Amino acid sequence: MNWNALKYQLKAIRRDKLCILTFLLPIAAGLALNLLSDLNLTSAAEPAFGILQNDLAPEAVSWLQVHGSVTAYDTMEDLESAVREPSTQTIGVLSDGPGLQVFRSGDELTRTAVTADLLPQLYADRSLMSRYEIILLPSGSDNNIMKHLLIVITMVTAMFMGCTFNAMNIISEKEDGILCINEILPLTKSQYALQKILVGFTGGALSTAVTALICMRLSIPQIVPLLLLVILSAFIAALTGLFIARFSENLMAGIVFIKIIMILFLAPPVLFYLLLPADGIPHALTYLLPSSATFYGLMKLLTGSGSLGKELAVLAVHCAVWFLLYVCISIGFRNVRACCRHQH
Amino acid sequence: MTGMFFTLLKKDFRLMLSARFFLLAAGSLVLYSCYIHFVYVSLDDKMYPVYCYDPAGIGTQAINSITAQDSGRTLPPVINVNTKEELADACSDGYSIGIDLSEKAPRIRMVSCGIDTIDHLRAAYAASRISTIGAGGPAPLRKALLDSEDSPAEADQAAPSNTGAALIGKDSKEMKNRREITAEFLFFELAAVGFLGLAAMLFKEKDMGVIRIHAVIPVQRNAFILSKLGLILLSDLVFSAMLTLINLGAAEGLAVLPAVLMQAGILSLLMALAGFFCAIALPDFKQFSLLYLVLAVFITTPVFLAGQTGLEIGWIKYHPMYHLFLAMKNAYFRNPNTSPVYYAACACAVALLYLLAGWGLRCEMKREG
Repeated sequence: MNWNALKYQLKAIRRDKLCILTFLLPIAAGLALNLLSDLNLTSAAEPAFGILQNDLAPEAVSWLQVHGSVTAYDTMEDLESAVREPSTQTIGVLSDGPGLQVFRSGDELTRTAVTADLLPQLYADRSLMSRYEIILLPSGSDNNIMKHLLIVITMVTAMFMGCTFNAMNIISEKEDGILCINEILPLTKSQYALQKILVGFTGGALSTAVTALICMRLSIPQIVPLLLLVILSAFIAALTGLFIARFSENLMAGIVFIKIIMILFLAPPVLFYLLLPADGIPHALTYLLPSSATFYGLMKLLTGSGSLGKELAVLAVHCAVWFLLYVCISIGFRNVRACCRHQH
Repeated sequence: MTGMFFTLLKKDFRLMLSARFFLLAAGSLVLYSCYIHFVYVSLDDKMYPVYCYDPAGIGTQAINSITAQDSGRTLPPVINVNTKEELADACSDGYSIGIDLSEKAPRIRMVSCGIDTIDHLRAAYAASRISTIGAGGPAPLRKALLDSEDSPAEADQAAPSNTGAALIGKDSKEMKNRREITAEFLFFELAAVGFLGLAAMLFKEKDMGVIRIHAVIPVQRNAFILSKLGLILLSDLVFSAMLTLINLGAAEGLAVLPAVLMQAGILSLLMALAGFFCAIALPDFKQFSLLYLVLAVFITTPVFLAGQTGLEIGWIKYHPMYHLFLAMKNAYFRNPNTSPVYYAACACAVALLYLLAGWGLRCEMKREG
């Protein structure tokens, strides 16, 4: 490794204020997440009931309040439009003699739909609940899932910065013709690639580590798995940046590739995590996407459940496979070029 | 004059072709549509699984007759387990619920999910899911419990005869998902990429020295801006129309298309003009584009969160993108924004950005000589 060359790479970055800003941005988002405690995130997960003012008996209202959040509306139109509102899952509740009468809009997810359908029966059976002995065990950690999701999304974005940075950096060097200059300098392709990986990797890993320091409250034994997770993921991100740079000819193509990869990296893991049961073939298949492993690992760390062995192993395999693939492609390209030169 | 404008248009069109602008837009279209069709449409959550330990065999059976009305969603059956340990293990995830019928009093066992109201609902739901099989066929456990007590009168004996909620909406879950995600993708595409599309094109021209040439030939500055703006607007409108028709289907798509195109046009104009100004005013656009891509994620995330999940974030109404997103989303849900204040604000913003872009171009031409 030529440390001098690396020094030049870092020097080039230091002059690039915006690039430093890019790495600082996830950290700022982490700080904001930490400070925005007024963001009432549980409200989205709770069942929401909409009622009419002065319609339900006080007993029914207090029963509903025990089972979800209750909002009272003045008119029937307001209530109906709140139930129809697609972004919320409000269930409309009216009085029906001693019981409840329920309506919903019909586009809810299953859990809300079933809750609404069962609500009159659950209410009628309310006094029976005292006959059951309910054992409510406390959960291992605070389960503020929305906040956890936001933290993990911020951290995965932070790791992704290495990829974005590397791709843009190499593409702009390509456009400026620095790659052609490199051809005549005593710098091999592999040295160049290694330097770039290292720079993107360091930036991504540092940015993620600081974000983790701000957002996550970890115990000592969790630190080593987290570090491993960050290192492996940041390496994959940096490598992805190199792939993007290789396959895009100009800046615009690079941006589109980054956009696609960013959506692929961020959106599916969130959905997989929320929707797929943790055991089963579909869940195992999601590990084909490296960011899923990172995502699950971070979620495990935050909720304090389970060991990270599987995720780390998967990430290590990803690192090895993608690195080998990159090496193969590079060698292949070089051979092709050598052939061309030979023919000339 | 008109001839000159068309020459400019032709040149810009060729520039877009050579930058593979259309190819990339088509690629995005395919990617988004595949994601919507194969992943997002089937998005759903599951009802809490109920596990039951019943060694005495008082008989548990799932009440499967209660199904949601619209799409025949049936409840998952109650799963029987053989030992207490198995039960404890099965309901340790803060999600599943265990029922232990081995004691005298039935026992509901679960790990808290962190939100009290949901825990109460889970318990009530689990209790409703067990029934006894007596001589007269399956009867709800609630009845057995009532009979075993001395004073059965305190509960409402008459369970409601018709379970199931009335439906008042027009969309099914699938249609709602389609509308929601199409609006989101279109917004992201226009906000993040529409901005960079024109900016990257202009930046390339700036690099090639086109602006310097324009400073000396008699081309109106307005024509220079308008030809680019027109092309971007047109391509964005075509993209929006195709995305809408492919993902909502022809009938539903056509019904919302006018309103959607209106909002897409506004957003496209705003973002393209902002991109034009940034590309011309900032000396190092490349690094800016990188920063922008990241900013776009952080700017649009709270907007999406507030707009899609109904999270209450107080300051969000001061976020201009939030109103643009809501207008786009409401257009997809057949509820177009009719507030004159909104349209006046949009028109003002477009005019302001246009003036800024013209001013930026003038400065740039002066600098280039």
